[in-house]
Amino acid sequence: MNSTEPIIKLQNVSKYFGRVCALKDVSLDVEPGKVVVIIGPSGSGKSTLLRCINHLEVESAGEVWVEGEHLNGNQKHLNSVRSGIGMVFQHFNLYPHLTALQNITLAQRIVRKIPQAQAEENARVQLKRVGIEHKADVYPGQLSGGQQQRVAIARALAMNPKIMLFDEPTSALDPEMIKEVLEVMLNLAKEGITMVVVTHEMGFARAAADEVVFMDAGQIIEKAAPEAFFNEPSNERTREFLSQILER
Amino acid sequence: MQKEMLSINHAAVDYPAFRERLKKQLGSFPWWLAALAAIAAGTFWLISTRESYNDAFTFIKAGLSVTITTTLIAYGISIIIGLVTSLGRISNNLILRNLATLYVEIIRGIPMMVLIFFIALVGVPAVMNLLKELGQWITSLGWVNAGNALISLKNDAIPMNTRAIVALAVTYGAFSAEIFRAGIQSIGKGQMEAARSQGMSYGQAMRYVILPQAIRNVLPALGNDFVSMLKDTSLVSVLAVRDITQIARLYAGRSFHYQEAYINLAVLYLSMTVILSFAVKFLEKRLQRDELN
Repeated sequence: MNSTEPIIKLQNVSKYFGRVCALKDVSLDVEPGKVVVIIGPSGSGKSTLLRCINHLEVESAGEVWVEGEHLNGNQKHLNSVRSGIGMVFQHFNLYPHLTALQNITLAQRIVRKIPQAQAEENARVQLKRVGIEHKADVYPGQLSGGQQQRVAIARALAMNPKIMLFDEPTSALDPEMIKEVLEVMLNLAKEGITMVVVTHEMGFARAAADEVVFMDAGQIIEKAAPEAFFNEPSNERTREFLSQILER
Repeated sequence: MQKEMLSINHAAVDYPAFRERLKKQLGSFPWWLAALAAIAAGTFWLISTRESYNDAFTFIKAGLSVTITTTLIAYGISIIIGLVTSLGRISNNLILRNLATLYVEIIRGIPMMVLIFFIALVGVPAVMNLLKELGQWITSLGWVNAGNALISLKNDAIPMNTRAIVALAVTYGAFSAEIFRAGIQSIGKGQMEAARSQGMSYGQAMRYVILPQAIRNVLPALGNDFVSMLKDTSLVSVLAVRDITQIARLYAGRSFHYQEAYINLAVLYLSMTVILSFAVKFLEKRLQRDELN
């Protein structure tokens, strides 16, 4: 695969929930190593777009390509593609019956067939990477929101993914915990991992994004590098959205 | 001097507050449990002092092993049937889902006594006949030995005890299927998504992520089902299975000591179910406590 070829390619993707159209003919290419931040008002289809990338939502029309492979509904193939895509959710979705360490080793063991000891070693490395190695044997219920989200990031990283998807990772956090999660994400962005991030954190978009995508009503309205995007947005709707967001 | 002290002491007892506290303590005391204990003690006293009660008890307790083994085995099988059925109920596979739902609806719509007659006296023989047919077919294909083994099966080779266990297991399987289904559906869909997003198959996600949480949530309900099963084994007496109910009936019919037979029988069931209910409540409290940690 050529390095300039997109690692994620959405081609004319549409998604309907019943009669509601969540995505309307969306195309998006993400090049390897790039950080793409998707912003837009709620209900604009940002999360649906993100979830189409690893087929948590299956597109109603169009095609999704990941690492040059078409996601065609073959479950075995899909599972192997998914294991190379880390996903971080708004509500963490940690496994509450497992400790932080077990949360991180589970998929390594049963999907990647990595031996227990090696999986644990890797898990500890990932916990250190997100700065909470001392919480390895604690259950998610005993962790703060920010700590839980960092464990969730470590859980995704442990699969050694080429792509990381973030679905509003800080939206469910108390304000004082947002920073610790964003710091971890900023570090990841610097490490050169491909990231697609749905967020309302404009500061993160400015600091980490290679490209900012603005969505509204299921469509991509504008796509630009962050400076251009925030300083001279070309579209009227983008300007309106930004003025509402940045006023706060 | 003495009179003065008395009056001081009297004043020291804050009478209304004391009464309030006493009322609260008496109000929260489990009087019903004391009454149950009294009933058990009374029965025990009857058994140890009256020969007719002692006779009845000695006779009836011989059925305990049947009651208990029937409960344990039938319950164990029903749990497996229930788990499999619940997975069918929530499956995306049209056929599996409908088969599972059909089974649950049939069982829920028929009285348990009728089900026990039906499964033991119609269902089991029908399966045996089917196996015989299968044996003939296999013989016609040339596997004579295997075929003959099936053909030689006899209906009465299946004792009533076994049929009773099958009947209870099939009946309760539908009930526990609904318990498991509720448990699985109580787990947020984010759990399945997280597991699938890591590349786990549906089955792996079920086994390692969803079921451990779901089963834990339904343990108290499953425990209550076990208590119900223990009581419902009394129904298998209609198949002449010699559980405590059947034996008590036999004893009463033979000796005309109805009171002795049925007091013993009732108290026997009551002691077992009350103890089990306490075990379930204890389990529930433990689980809640663990949850808080």
